[in-house]
Amino acid sequence: MSVKVMMQSSGNKTLAGFTRRISFWLGASVLLGGVAAVLLVLQLTVFAQIVAGLAFQHHSLADEIPALKWLVFFLVTRALLQWAADMVAAQGSLRLISNLRSELLQHLFNVGPVGMAGHATGATVTALDAGLEGLEPYFTQYMPRAAMMVVLPFMILATVLHLDGWSFLILACTGPLIPVFMALVGYRAQAIMDRQWTQLLLLGSSFLDALQGMTSLRLLGRARDAVAAVADMADEYRCTTMSVMKVAFLTSAVLEFFASLSIALVAVVFGARLLEGKADFQSAFLVLLLAPEYFMPLRAFSASYHARQNATAAMAGISKLFALPAMAARHENQLLAETLVSVKCENLSAEYEANRPVLSNINCTFARGTLSLITGESGAGKTTLVRLLLGLLSPVTGRIVAEDAHGIAHRDWQSNIGWVPQRPCLVHGTVAENLRMASPQADIASLRNVARQADALSFIESLPQGFDTLIGERGTCLSGGQVQRLALARVLLRKPQILILDEPTAHLDPESERRVATAIAHVATHCIVIVIAHRGAIITHAQQVLRVHKGQVFSGPHLLEHAA
Amino acid sequence: MTQFSRLAVLMRPIRREMLMGLALAVLASLANFGLLFLSGWLLAAAAVAGLGGIVAQNAFNIFLPAVGVRFFATVRILARYLERVVTHDATLRFIGRVRAWSFESLIPQAPAVLARQRSGDMLFRFVSDTDRMGQFYLEVMLPFAVAAICCAAYVVVTGLFSVSAALVLATSLLLCGTIIPLIAAKLSACATAQISLQQDIMHADLTEILQGMGEFMFLGAAGSVQEHIARQQTNIRVCRQKVLLLEGGARFLITLIGTLSAVAMLALATHAYHAGTLSAACLPMLALGGLAAFDVVGPLPAAWQLLGHVRVAAQRVFAVCDQPPCVPLPAVTASPVQPLDLCFCNLGMRYPEANYWALRHANLLIRQGEHVALVGPSGAGKSTLINLLFRFYDYQEGTASFGNVDLKNVDADTMSQHVGIVAQDFHLFLGSIRRNLMIARSNATEDEMWRALKIAQLAEFVRAEPAGLDTLVGEEGICLSGGQARRLAIAQVVLRAPAWIILDEPTEGLDAQTEQDLMAALLAALPPQATIMCITHNRKVAGLMDRIVRVAEGRFYEVGRAP
Repeated sequence: MSVKVMMQSSGNKTLAGFTRRISFWLGASVLLGGVAAVLLVLQLTVFAQIVAGLAFQHHSLADEIPALKWLVFFLVTRALLQWAADMVAAQGSLRLISNLRSELLQHLFNVGPVGMAGHATGATVTALDAGLEGLEPYFTQYMPRAAMMVVLPFMILATVLHLDGWSFLILACTGPLIPVFMALVGYRAQAIMDRQWTQLLLLGSSFLDALQGMTSLRLLGRARDAVAAVADMADEYRCTTMSVMKVAFLTSAVLEFFASLSIALVAVVFGARLLEGKADFQSAFLVLLLAPEYFMPLRAFSASYHARQNATAAMAGISKLFALPAMAARHENQLLAETLVSVKCENLSAEYEANRPVLSNINCTFARGTLSLITGESGAGKTTLVRLLLGLLSPVTGRIVAEDAHGIAHRDWQSNIGWVPQRPCLVHGTVAENLRMASPQADIASLRNVARQADALSFIESLPQGFDTLIGERGTCLSGGQVQRLALARVLLRKPQILILDEPTAHLDPESERRVATAIAHVATHCIVIVIAHRGAIITHAQQVLRVHKGQVFSGPHLLEHAA
Repeated sequence: MTQFSRLAVLMRPIRREMLMGLALAVLASLANFGLLFLSGWLLAAAAVAGLGGIVAQNAFNIFLPAVGVRFFATVRILARYLERVVTHDATLRFIGRVRAWSFESLIPQAPAVLARQRSGDMLFRFVSDTDRMGQFYLEVMLPFAVAAICCAAYVVVTGLFSVSAALVLATSLLLCGTIIPLIAAKLSACATAQISLQQDIMHADLTEILQGMGEFMFLGAAGSVQEHIARQQTNIRVCRQKVLLLEGGARFLITLIGTLSAVAMLALATHAYHAGTLSAACLPMLALGGLAAFDVVGPLPAAWQLLGHVRVAAQRVFAVCDQPPCVPLPAVTASPVQPLDLCFCNLGMRYPEANYWALRHANLLIRQGEHVALVGPSGAGKSTLINLLFRFYDYQEGTASFGNVDLKNVDADTMSQHVGIVAQDFHLFLGSIRRNLMIARSNATEDEMWRALKIAQLAEFVRAEPAGLDTLVGEEGICLSGGQARRLAIAQVVLRAPAWIILDEPTEGLDAQTEQDLMAALLAALPPQATIMCITHNRKVAGLMDRIVRVAEGRFYEVGRAP
């Protein structure tokens, strides 16, 4: 992990922290919006003056030309400034979100697959994808509007105070009540939402689950019932959501109530005084124009209130990912120049939960030119041992030492490992693209070379377009054995000094199994090769067999029998 | 526009709720307009009366308009709240309808539909597409309908006072409601399409990256995949900026036109006032009404944008749902009868779009009660057997029968009553172990569940868990190990006690001891007349069967029969 990433990871991963990172953009946006607000008040003042002039002072249109010019000036400038303010806020948040996505992805790579094991891929992708997008309205709408809520109403209040005491009193009294009521209702909505969040998530993902399990449902003869279940779950989701929303909508209703009430009050109170001749029309009309604008920022804020709730909800998933601890080992892209001759595990212990050791005090050596086999019952700790070797998991005690021919121990040796998991991941692309993931600049000759070593060349050449054949996600149009051999070829392209293979011959028929085993044995002559396997042809090629049993490692050829 | 008419068909059962929501929305908007319109008139009329001296003051009845103002204010509050509740409820109902309908039309296509595309990508997109289709009512139809009805009402009301002002209002509303948003949507169409395309690709790429994270790290590809994502993000950002700029531009023009049209209406009204056809009190009223009218066209640019998105989403969903199933449903479904023998005679089968035969000139007879191991190289056609039996894919040559009934006359539902399958790519559902067992058999008792778990060698594990049967399996069975998940899938099938059991690599991921225990328990638990077919590479497992059949080059060969 580089120092730079460390710095970023330790940064403030909260909404407030993110807001601070784009404070320049948000500040600029609020400033532009503030000026626009001033211009709006001026525009309405001029408008009221024109209306009053035309209706009550017997002015002709020509008399109002200068005022009209001002009106258009204020209007155009204000609208332009508002446009600019929106763009600036959007710009800032778009930048922030793409940075966050890169940082989060980087962080997940630092966490590694073991740290990620408890997190479903779908949920993580959603956090990276829709989750981060969900933060955008918070920065583009909620934050600027929250700021505007402070600026514009005060400005209007000041103007109204200047115009009319009664109206000032009405607005000044109703205004502050709104945030109070909204907070009360919003608090309740949040509480309901928190309570039902898990249920909402579960119900929300149930449709995807049903789609993914469609084949299983047909095999179980439950497809018809599942249609009803999908409908039922959608209905349950609706009920749960509506119970949250009904409360949330009350927030807006409170606002609506005060806004409508104030306008009505202003109109009626002013009307009565105008009738008695105690007020002038221009002020009355201006107050009536200003009153909706007084509540407008509050309304806009309340409309974007769910942006905050969504962002808070999305943040829960995102910060959970950011909070995952990074692996201790470094996985740099550089290979060692020296040749490693052995990897030794010394007094190695590992555990996932405190005081429940999975491996205790393990000692073993893997030497160059030897094919070592790790075998044992499922759950005995084979995978844990491999994770320790890969550096995906840190040992509780003990250490792993990689030495070269001069007995010098090297750090960062783990980047020299080539690893093929049980189900290798082939990406959507051509055979060549899949191979080149290991070495983007590799020429076709080296691709053919590694393919030959992994016994993959013959089947690749028999594909319709050879190395340029498109293969699907997870290699859907290849057989299990072909996928394994392709993955082996790919890993060989990196020229790893250590090769770790997890059940390379599972899922394979005897013929493919034999071919894969022979290819691995061939590679083992100039490599440190470690293979996890239960059975099969690979065992006959093994020079060392380690049996993992109840957290201990036993070695010796007599164990072959059991393994076979 | 066929997508929209099909959406309308789906909407039919909830049209009452939808119309109710529309009525409330219209009511709220009209009340808002009425409030400002009447307030403007009230102020101006009161001022006129105030200036007119004591007689005019006494003649002016302030009571009635004041009640009207309060009435509009109250209606606005209530209608807005109810509108929100009703429309959101209708939207969620509609999403549920779309999902249930699309799920129903997809079922006959499984599993072929999943194999056709990048599966994860397709399913995620399907979920968000149906969601977007559901938004059609709330975000597209409603704003348009409300705008159309209210604008007409505003124009008529204005027209009662001044026809020329009404014409100005109608023109500018039309401009702001249709022409400007349309142009903006047209200009940003390319960027919008680009965004959704790029987002889909990024989603699929992220899934791939996370699933293969360990491998990417050890291939030294971590840096390059991150750069790849960063590049995609930049592309999306540039498009987003363009769209936002255009949206902002549309809003700018609407603000401008809204105020200018109010000024123009005022000018026309002044003209009428000077000509004596309009009273002074109507001037502020028309000006205020002109401003208030533009509230309903505000959401239209967003609605136009969304209209495009909905169309694309609906196109994609309908395209997937409209695919004919790989195998047409039989006209008359026949029921297999005892003995449940499977017989393939000179069978030829090729997958759609495949250029080779998966099975050709294949002959196979499996009698009820036999225990058969199916071996052979991967890709030779072992899984094809399951696809044929459940009518997921059709065969083109020869004949196939099960329980004396031609396979062409049965469907998956019938087969599932007789045959239980543990497929290699089984799926566990979200929720508990109990729920997964209940999905296999909804009327299973707790005792039966434990018995099935015991046979599958999973009872010990479940009993040790604090939540027991209610232990959550997690998404795709993530909380269980690979072996445990497979054993749960076996327990599901055991619970159904089918006459035939087909196991595809049942002991994959199990150690030798558990494997032996599982097979022994399974064989002991099944009634003697039950047929077992084991697709396996494992010689030990194959050895437990009576017969071994090898599949190679699209044919079945008898390898051996146990003594």
